[in-house]
Amino acid sequence: MSDGAARSDPALEAWEVFRQEKEGDPMRHGGSVMAPDAELAIHYAREMYGRRQESVRLWVVRRADILDLEDPDLLQPPLDRSFKKPGGYVMRDKLAAAREAAGQAKPKARAK
Amino acid sequence: MTASRTPAAPPILGLDGLLLTMADDEFVIGFSDSEWTGIAPLLEEDVAMSSLSQDELGHATALYGLLAELTGTDAAAIAYDREPAEYRHARLLDHGRGDWAMTIARRYLYETADATRLEALADGRWAPLAELVGKLQREERYHAMHIGSWFERLAGAVGEPRDRLLDALATLGPDAGTVFTPLSDEPALIEAGVLARPMAELEHEWRTRTTAMFARFDLSNLPPTRDPERGRTDHGADFAWLHGEFTKVRRGDPGATW
Repeated sequence: MSDGAARSDPALEAWEVFRQEKEGDPMRHGGSVMAPDAELAIHYAREMYGRRQESVRLWVVRRADILDLEDPDLLQPPLDRSFKKPGGYVMRDKLAAAREAAGQAKPKARAK
Repeated sequence: MTASRTPAAPPILGLDGLLLTMADDEFVIGFSDSEWTGIAPLLEEDVAMSSLSQDELGHATALYGLLAELTGTDAAAIAYDREPAEYRHARLLDHGRGDWAMTIARRYLYETADATRLEALADGRWAPLAELVGKLQREERYHAMHIGSWFERLAGAVGEPRDRLLDALATLGPDAGTVFTPLSDEPALIEAGVLARPMAELEHEWRTRTTAMFARFDLSNLPPTRDPERGRTDHGADFAWLHGEFTKVRRGDPGATW
């Protein structure tokens, strides 16, 4: 970016911005910015998603570089998949029986 | 506030003049550049320029605050209740908004000059200012990145973007060095250890850096400052208009609490 070479007028393109709110948090998608190149994309991501100290880290990704998978045959196949879900194994009765055998009461719901 | 912010006695000669020039610079460029809000070249840049302008106004608030504590006055009154002729910002900031290239050129010239000035104040012996300068420098890092990107983008372009930048530099060039207009009590400030070096030396250093940058893009060197003794007075019609704009709300209800 810093050499003096002449550049043609670049078109705007979309960049996706991910932000981390505090150290240790997962990166979450914040939104997107339009910018002609990576340098201004970083500036604009900072302005849109970081200027009020609301982020400790940003990831800026050219939208065209994201591998997009939305094929329904791969993600939403038509046949019954319930046997792949853990919901088929009902644990409630087994747990109750085990507690009774051990002479323990059901623990109270934990505070979040 | 805290004891560390109590001004040292005896007062340092020239400190009020230094703070006023710095505060007025930040205040005026902040209001000037906020003129782009809503009409910047693209939406993202609109937010960026508005945010940068707010930063400058924040810097002005902090500097007027120091001055108000030092002189026992009110920061808002200093900022808003003077006549145009009483402002002490650099003449570089007196030009009307102009086109985008004009704003980029002005911000580039001002930001690089301000960075040189801040370096000479960062280790100063008056703690309240040295502490504030340290904070300003951290925010100015992003400002330098932003304006550097835009300056290089226009300077390195072919055709209209570069032509417009050249026009802007030709207009602003003779006023560019006015950020370094000598202060009335400059020797006292240097003696007191507030300012590391004379403004003339700082200007020389800034011109050396600017010349190197300009050479990379085959730009002509900046001319010497026109009428350098009056670099922070005689503000002209464009500033009179801006002053009318930024004092309008306060004049609309004098004495109101905001």
